[in-house]
Order: sequence, then structure tokens, then C-alpha cells
Amino acid sequence: MKLAHTSDKAALAESSVAISARHVTQRYGEPGDPQTVLALDNVSLEIRRGEFLCLLGPSGCGKSTLLNIIGGLIEPTDGTVTVHDAMVRGPLPDKIAFVFQESTLFPWYNVAENFGINFKYRGVARSEWKDRAIKALKSVGMADFIDHYPNQLSIGMRQRVNLARGLSSGTEILLMDEPFAALDEQSRMVLGEDLSILLAEAGKTIIFVTHSLAEAVFLSDRIALMTARPGRIKAIIDVNEPHPRMPGFMLQPRFSELRNACYASLHDEIRQAMVAAERGGETSG
Amino acid sequence: MSLTQTEMPQARAMARRPRKEFGSAAKIVWTRRLIVLGGLVIWELWTRLAGSSDVIAPPSSIARAFFSDILSDEQIRSAIALTLLEVVCAYALAIVAGLAIGLAIGSTSLSRRSLFPIILLLYAIPQVILLPLFTLGFGIGPAAKIAFGFSHGVFPVLVNVVAGMRNVHPLYLKAARSMGARRSDIIRNVTFPHMVASFFTGLRLSMTMTLLGVILAELYVSTAGVGYFTKLFAETFDPAPLFALIGTLAIIAIGLNEIVRTIERRFTRWKD
Amino acid sequence: MKDSSHLPARAIQLGFLVVVMGSWFVIGRTGAISPLFVPPMEAVWLAFSRLVQTDQFWSAVRTTLMTISEAYGIAIILGILAGYLVTRSRFLTQVLEPVVSGLFSIPITLFFPLFILLFGIGPASKIAYGAAYGFFPIALNTIAGFAGVNSNHLNAARSMGFSSFGTFRHVLFPAAFPVILTGLRIGFFICFASVLGGETISSVSGVGRNIALAAELMEPARMYAWIVVVVATALALNTLVSGIENRMRGH
Repeated sequence: MKLAHTSDKAALAESSVAISARHVTQRYGEPGDPQTVLALDNVSLEIRRGEFLCLLGPSGCGKSTLLNIIGGLIEPTDGTVTVHDAMVRGPLPDKIAFVFQESTLFPWYNVAENFGINFKYRGVARSEWKDRAIKALKSVGMADFIDHYPNQLSIGMRQRVNLARGLSSGTEILLMDEPFAALDEQSRMVLGEDLSILLAEAGKTIIFVTHSLAEAVFLSDRIALMTARPGRIKAIIDVNEPHPRMPGFMLQPRFSELRNACYASLHDEIRQAMVAAERGGETSG
Repeated sequence: MSLTQTEMPQARAMARRPRKEFGSAAKIVWTRRLIVLGGLVIWELWTRLAGSSDVIAPPSSIARAFFSDILSDEQIRSAIALTLLEVVCAYALAIVAGLAIGLAIGSTSLSRRSLFPIILLLYAIPQVILLPLFTLGFGIGPAAKIAFGFSHGVFPVLVNVVAGMRNVHPLYLKAARSMGARRSDIIRNVTFPHMVASFFTGLRLSMTMTLLGVILAELYVSTAGVGYFTKLFAETFDPAPLFALIGTLAIIAIGLNEIVRTIERRFTRWKD
Repeated sequence: MKDSSHLPARAIQLGFLVVVMGSWFVIGRTGAISPLFVPPMEAVWLAFSRLVQTDQFWSAVRTTLMTISEAYGIAIILGILAGYLVTRSRFLTQVLEPVVSGLFSIPITLFFPLFILLFGIGPASKIAYGAAYGFFPIALNTIAGFAGVNSNHLNAARSMGFSSFGTFRHVLFPAAFPVILTGLRIGFFICFASVLGGETISSVSGVGRNIALAAELMEPARMYAWIVVVVATALALNTLVSGIENRMRGH
């Protein structure tokens, strides 16, 4: 399913809301304890099927926390999350796959075994393992390395395999937590272009957490801008641009306008987050 | 999606193991050999010329003594063989016990928090003062030496097993959970392989410690075995065979160490 | 960590202690294990209280402490000096570090008879032996400390125009210090244990000799009393050093 325009998607998918987060609040610490930290404050968000949504915000704004809550890894202090109209109460391995920041390829298994363990817990039939693994690896150009161990691969290569493992899970929803954070800007650029092509073919619903404004504009259909802690949705920006994104998109004036809009909205939040961090707060997105 | 210009050759290079030697690496190795050789030459000349050869023997005499006094003497040979046997027995026991106790202690948070500090406290005691006690309890035969070697070698294995069960990077646990793994699956596919690596690292230190324990016991019980002969050569001021005997034991120690290191490398190839 | 979570762990540890002491008491009463190997608690306590009043005890302690300090002192001086000099040349570091590290993997205890041969069975041989053993962790850590100084820091110092002494004082030494300190800590405990070991195996005086003597003379209670003294000292030192380290790390 290759949808060209967000408005087309909207028209077709009026009732297919993939993920709905309502009034999600996350508080750390006991009530009444002066040391409590309010990480997320009454966040509500709807993500449509097949949409690519970015969570963009300063360090410590709770974007990773929100992602983990949506994926069922953390229970929110308040509020609910539904996926395909069912309440989220724990990990949903048949519906949701994560791609984390550092490669979480298990170092004691080689690439093939890493795919295998992922398939095993998601209930994929053993007979399908090899083919699906090779298909996913081919799409990221790493099919030759199926027998290698992660320590034999460079960081960029590891992240590609990590990505492929997530994609091969066969889930409709992909939650990606700053998957390119460990890479330099040029690698991110290249991988971002490749990712866009890949995802356009796959038709998945994606939530992508990032620090990078350019990355957010380049990849997503909508960008949810978050405030400094406590995290709230400050604004949502629509990027009306067909998929897959072409490298030329970055050169268009509209790209700069969108990025500037993000910057204008986030600048004060970023400053605020820095000050809070200096005062001794932690910075974990 | 394909690999970039820079990634491809890098990937090919990394896929090739072991690493190749470059010019400067060879230079280092040869300098090292030269220094060792030079040291031997100076040693030889010094003892021959300065004449303190009733305390230090020149390398040539040591080499000769090795063949004439050590290798040819059946009693010494069997003493060395016995020591080797004691080390192997103590080591095997240490590995099994260390693994079993370590798994037990590391299995729950409570057992670890309560019992592990006790283990660490025991580890801090200089065990050598218990040596006379061991001989009182186990006699002066091989049993005491095996027991003493065991008590030295069990700790590194134990400590490493417990640590390996604990130190798993939380991100791996998170990833496994997100895939839908249950707690027992996580132990099997994440905690256990991670612990195994730590276990093999502990094996090498355990070998050194087991050797230490057995040697200490042998030296203390100087009525038979290797300890008897070292005492004999020392008291009769016969340095050449003493050096030769110790040298032989040292080479055996290095050999055992290398064997363990090879096994460790084979099983932890996936480690960075 | 909430304080309440300490409680069950502490309870188990206390229980462990009670079981050990209790078993010892029972064994003493019933003689289930030969009193030659496990003398009754009261006998050990009696021997201990008698022991600390003798001159022999204090002179042995003094001998051992002197031996340990001298061995440690030599190990520190030689270890840091050798470690520092080696790191002045990167080439030399690469050549020698594996040699030193490889030698350390042989238990130096093997060479103890050589020390007896060279220095006799008096304290001198134990000083030399302890120094030789303690030398290695100190030297290795000194090498690691100085070699591991971040080259960015060194470049910064050079660009600011530091003299070579200034570089040593403001960059090399502070950077290497924590690693060297770890080496000094390990070296101390190694000196401590190796001197005691040497005294136990072959000596005329000192704590180790007294332990061996008590065993030879079939006086297990006295031997246990000595062991208790050493174990208590070792644990006290260990706790002290860990406490200092934790405090230093906390700041």
C-alpha cells in the first residue's frame, strides 16, 4: 500500500486509528514526596494507520518515556493507551516492534540467531525464519553478514541489522527510539534516505523519537513537538510531502520553512531543558 | 539500501579475523625477544665472572641441571607429576563448586544481597595463614594440597558467575521483553549467555589462584613432593637444580595458563 | 535503595553468623570433629587472652609489621619508578608491558625458595619476596595510569605552553593518580599476604612463623588465636580501605 499524500491517507483512514494515547501522565516518586518528578503531563495523541509520526523535543522531555508507555513497557501513572482499540497492558509482540537507540542485538548470538530469537517470541513459525531474515537483511544491504557476530560489525552496520530485525518482526507498528543517535550526521543522512524508501514499501505505522529537527522533517508525516519537562504536546506540524522522501526534499525552501517552524517552537524549550539539566536534573529523553 | 563507500571495505576488513601484522608490530616482538636474550647473556656473564655461583646459577648450568638432575631423576619427575595432578583436581573441583554456588547465590536478589558480601569478606582474608590448619585437618598428603588449591581457586569463579548474572545491560532485558519474552525465557536467552562469558573470564584467574594454592601447600609441607626437593636444594646451596626445578614448574604454569586462555577465547569469540 | 530492603539481607547474614558460631560451640562440646582440627571456642578464647599478654606476641607482630612496611615501601618506589619510566616511550611500553603482565601470571610463590637461597630465612627474604610480589600490580597500574592519559589533555597542555614539569604536575599525575592508587591498594594486600605466606612457610620469626609453630607443636587453640588476630586485622583493613575509596568516589 503506497499512499502518496497525507490527505489521501486521512480520507481513507478516517476510522483506522492505530494508536490512541489519552491523558497520559507519568510521575516518578511517591505522592507527597517533594522529590517527585513529573515526566509527562496529560499527553494525548492519536496516530493513524500507516502514518509516520515523530516525537521531537529537548532532552528530558519524556519522549522516550512516552514511547515506552505506548509500547507497553511501562505503565503510566495516569491515562490510557489503546492500540487497535484494545487497551495496552504490557508488551504486544504481535503488534508492536521496537528499534532502540543502541543496537540491542544480543552480542552472544550471531545475526541469524538474533533474528531467530525475535521470531521465536513473536510466535513466527520456524520454517519461515531463514527466509524472512534474509529478506529483511537484503533490504538493508546486510544479507552477506548473516553469520557474523555483532562485534564483527561497525556501529552503522549493527544499527542496520537492528533495524532489519525490527522490520522483520511482521508487526504493523514500529516504535523507534532515536535509532540513529549513535551515528554521525552524514551516516544519519544516508540511513535516513534509505529508511524512507524502505518504509514507503512496508506501509507500517511508525512513531519515531528524535532530537534532530532535520531528521524529523525529512522522515515524518506529522511532527509532535514536546515541551521541556514536564512533557506536553506543544504543537503538531504537518509535513505534506509524498513518500518516499527524495534527497532533493532537503533542498526545497519548504523543508527549511518546516524546520524553522520546529526551531521557533522548540528553541525556548531547549533552553529551558538545558537550564534544568544544569541545575542537577537528569536528562533522559 | 546498500553499504556506503566507506563501510564496505571496513566491513570486509572487520570480517577477516585474526588481524594482520604490520611492520611496527614485528619490530616490537623482535625487540622484546632481543631484550630477553640480552638479559640471559648478561646473567650468564655476570655469574661466571663475578663468581657468586653458589647462590645464583648461570643459565647454562641451569640448562644442564635440568637434564641431569630434573628430567633424569625419577623421584623429582613423579613429584612434579603429582603436583600437576593436584592442580588439575583442585581446579576441576573449584570450577564445579564455583559455578554451582555462584548460580545459587546469584539466582535471586535476596540471596545475592545477603550472601555475596559474606563471600567477598572471605575472599579478603589472606588464606595462607590457614595453611597449617589445612594440614592439621587433611594431613600432609595430596589431599591437603588439593583442598588448599580448591579454596583459592573457587573464589574467582564464584565471584564472576554472580557478577555475570547481575551485570546484564538493562537495554538487552528491555529488548527481550519487547519481543514478548517471559521471565524464564529472559534468563535462558539473555542472563545465562551473559553469565557464561563472565564465567570463562573467571576461569583464567581461577587457574592462577589454584596454582598458587597448590604451590603454597607444596612448599609448606616440605617432607615430600616438590617442596622437599626445593628445600633440599636450597639447604645444600645447590642453586642450579633449584633454578631448574622452579623453571620447570614456571613453564608448566605458563602452559596451563595458555590452555585456559585458549579455551576462554574459543567460547567468548562474540565479546568485544 | 530504601533502608527497609536491607533488613532481610542483614537478617540472613546475622543468621549465617549465628549458625557458624553455634556449630562451633556444639562441635566444641560434643567433640564431633577432632579437637586437633577444631578446638572448642572457650579454649581458643583462653589462648587468645593469654597470647596478647605475652611479649612474644607483640614482638612477632612488630616483626611482621616491619617486614610488611619495608616490603611495601620498596615495592612502591620501584613499582612507580619503573612504571613511569616505561611509559616515557610508547615503543618501550608496547615492548615491556606484556612481559610484565605475563610474568605476573606465574605465581611468584614458585620463586620463594630462591629468595630463601639468596637472603636466608630471616626477615630479609620476606622483605624481598613481598617487595617482588607487590611490585607487579603497582608497576602495571602505574603503566596503565600514565599510558592511559587522554592525549587530548596532553595536546591542550602543549598548546597552552606548559613546561614538561608543569605537564607532569597538572596533567599526567592527576590523570594517572586514581589508577595508580588502585595499584597501591592491590599491592598492599599482596604484600600483606605474601609476607605472611613467606613467614608461614619458612621463617624464624613473625606472625606466620608463630602460626606454623603452633601447628607443629600441636597447639590448635593458640594457632586459632593467631589466625583470629590476622583475620580480624585483614577484615578491618579491608573495610577501612573500601570506606576510604567509597568516600573518595562519592565526592
